[in-house]
Amino acid sequence: MTPANKPPILVVDDNPDNAEIIRQYLEIRGYPTTVAHSGDEALALFETIKPAVVLLDVMMPGRDGWEVCRVMKQHPTLGRSVRVVMVTALDELRDKHEALQTGADDYVEKPFDLPSLAATVERNLKMQRAKAS
Amino acid sequence: MSDSILLTDIDPQELSEAVQLLDGWEVKQVPADQLARAVGGGADSGFRAVLIESEDPTVLRSAIERAHAASIPVVVACADDVGRRRAVELKAEEWYRCPPTPEEIAQRIRAAVGRGAPHLGTADDKIERVEYEQLLHDSLTGLPTLPVMIEQCRALFKERGELVVLYLNFVRYSKIEEIYGWEKLDAVLETTAAAVREFLEDTALSTSRLMVSFTNDDDFIFFHVPAAGVAAASENEITDIVTRLQRHVGGRIEAQHGEDIAALFDIYVGRAHVYYNPKIRLERLIYRGIREAANASRSIETRERARRVADLRTSLRDRSVYVDYHPIVVTETREIFGYEALARGVMRSLRSPEVMFDVAAEADLVWELSRLCRSRAIEGIETRLRPNELLFLNVDPHDFNDPAFNEHEVKYPTRVVIEITERTAIKDYPKFRERLKSFREKGFRFAVDDAGSGYAGLGSIANLEPDFIKLDISLINAIDTNFLKQNLVETMVRFANDHGAKVIAEGVEHAEEFNTVRDLGVHLVQGFFLHRPSTLPVAPVAKSLVGG
Repeated sequence: MTPANKPPILVVDDNPDNAEIIRQYLEIRGYPTTVAHSGDEALALFETIKPAVVLLDVMMPGRDGWEVCRVMKQHPTLGRSVRVVMVTALDELRDKHEALQTGADDYVEKPFDLPSLAATVERNLKMQRAKAS
Repeated sequence: MSDSILLTDIDPQELSEAVQLLDGWEVKQVPADQLARAVGGGADSGFRAVLIESEDPTVLRSAIERAHAASIPVVVACADDVGRRRAVELKAEEWYRCPPTPEEIAQRIRAAVGRGAPHLGTADDKIERVEYEQLLHDSLTGLPTLPVMIEQCRALFKERGELVVLYLNFVRYSKIEEIYGWEKLDAVLETTAAAVREFLEDTALSTSRLMVSFTNDDDFIFFHVPAAGVAAASENEITDIVTRLQRHVGGRIEAQHGEDIAALFDIYVGRAHVYYNPKIRLERLIYRGIREAANASRSIETRERARRVADLRTSLRDRSVYVDYHPIVVTETREIFGYEALARGVMRSLRSPEVMFDVAAEADLVWELSRLCRSRAIEGIETRLRPNELLFLNVDPHDFNDPAFNEHEVKYPTRVVIEITERTAIKDYPKFRERLKSFREKGFRFAVDDAGSGYAGLGSIANLEPDFIKLDISLINAIDTNFLKQNLVETMVRFANDHGAKVIAEGVEHAEEFNTVRDLGVHLVQGFFLHRPSTLPVAPVAKSLVGG
């Protein structure tokens, strides 16, 4: 599988180790993966990369994951198609409601294992393809 | 000379393999402390990327800052974790761990260059672009926002000297959001905008019309500049257009979102004429016109409300309220388990239960209306339901303060499930539970309505010890594509199973939604996918009442 026919993924995490681990894991699986280390960086890269899926850490200094998700989802052209997966350590009902408010599509609890993260990416890509067709 | 030069403090010998992989690149090595100065030449010097190995923080910082100032991306070779963190903090585009393979180096350089060297200035610009984009055009309707519109009509307005502002006030859209969640309102707004646009394309106003919407709000403004040589539309023409517009949009909404939502739809159009006056700033003229038109739409709304209050008083006097029964079915068998009673006004203006109760609240007639609706619904137990079917009755927590509402009012307590919405704040829980207890002892059962809408947590649901938990409609809407909603519903089902309650999913409109909630273990289902609400025939019939 060449990277060309796999859709791009944006990983947003302020912890460089986390981000790097996720990137390597996804790149091995053929996904062109870009890492952003802050919410601002993620938004700056958003239109260039046009990610199919964004893995978005919630707790980041500055602009947090919720806000990044909200801005991405309101983007006039990309907002419709992008799938946003929130990555967070807080497993609270309230958190999930907040995620729904911002338009997030899925949720991964920290600590996560890589295979389940990959499965989450897969199922969101599947949804995105189904929506597009 | 190559125009792809890698500026670095690393020995070119070490990089030769990596550079070969990069195809057409050259390496220029300078001592670490001279990197910053060397990079100062900018892109003209042919440097396409900087690769730094130095661990000296000062060297690193100044080199990265200078590189970014010249729009050149930076890759940092990191010996350890400290190095990695520093590279990230300093916003280097890429970094790799030492010792690297040549492939790794080449890949990181390629990735860094691929990002287009977002030095801080451009990165900020891009974020701003992404953010401003949503301020200039409404992402739902695709319509331009006011500031954009004013710029667009400036010249035209000056030339023709006249502008008609129509303010389209969609009154009950906030209600849609309250009941169905923001995603539904977004979809309805989209339909509305499309329908309005479509309608205006074929009207007399179609010459030089301009439309705006407020971002993320439900009002639209419509500017009409009369075409050259054509008189501005007369009052009568506009009135006629507004009536037809109302019908057109209403029809579209009903076709796409169903009659319950269409019943909430109402539009009041206010208008104002603005005449060009060179002494007054054009923006101010337009804003005044908008305000005037908005006020006009509000006063129509007020008049309309007064009329509805009168309608409600008449309805109460004549007992002209009827009940639609919406089937609740067992998910696995699709057998009818019970019906939710939906009281509707006989008068067209009071068709929607939400509208009717809103009007009642305004006129302080809530208890009276509730009493009438309850007695009408309960009549149906005898005349319309089959012996084993339950009646789900909506009761506002405030109704429990009504002295006329008590455990003796209803004849068939064991066949009635009282639905209490989670949305109304219950202030005094112990007292409220006491009241519920006396009902429970009579055999009534309870359902918590709109559960999971975020108003109250599972704790307060548990407090009410419900027999049924009705999930909020917004959780079911498009649940098949949203894993967060699935996760929440799963939690609710588990919670219900632990507490001996049954979960009801309402608002199930599509097969995909039905299949998803079934797979999640939801016990009971209600929604257009299976049945539409209907006035049941007087004599109970054996066949199921399939509507849609």
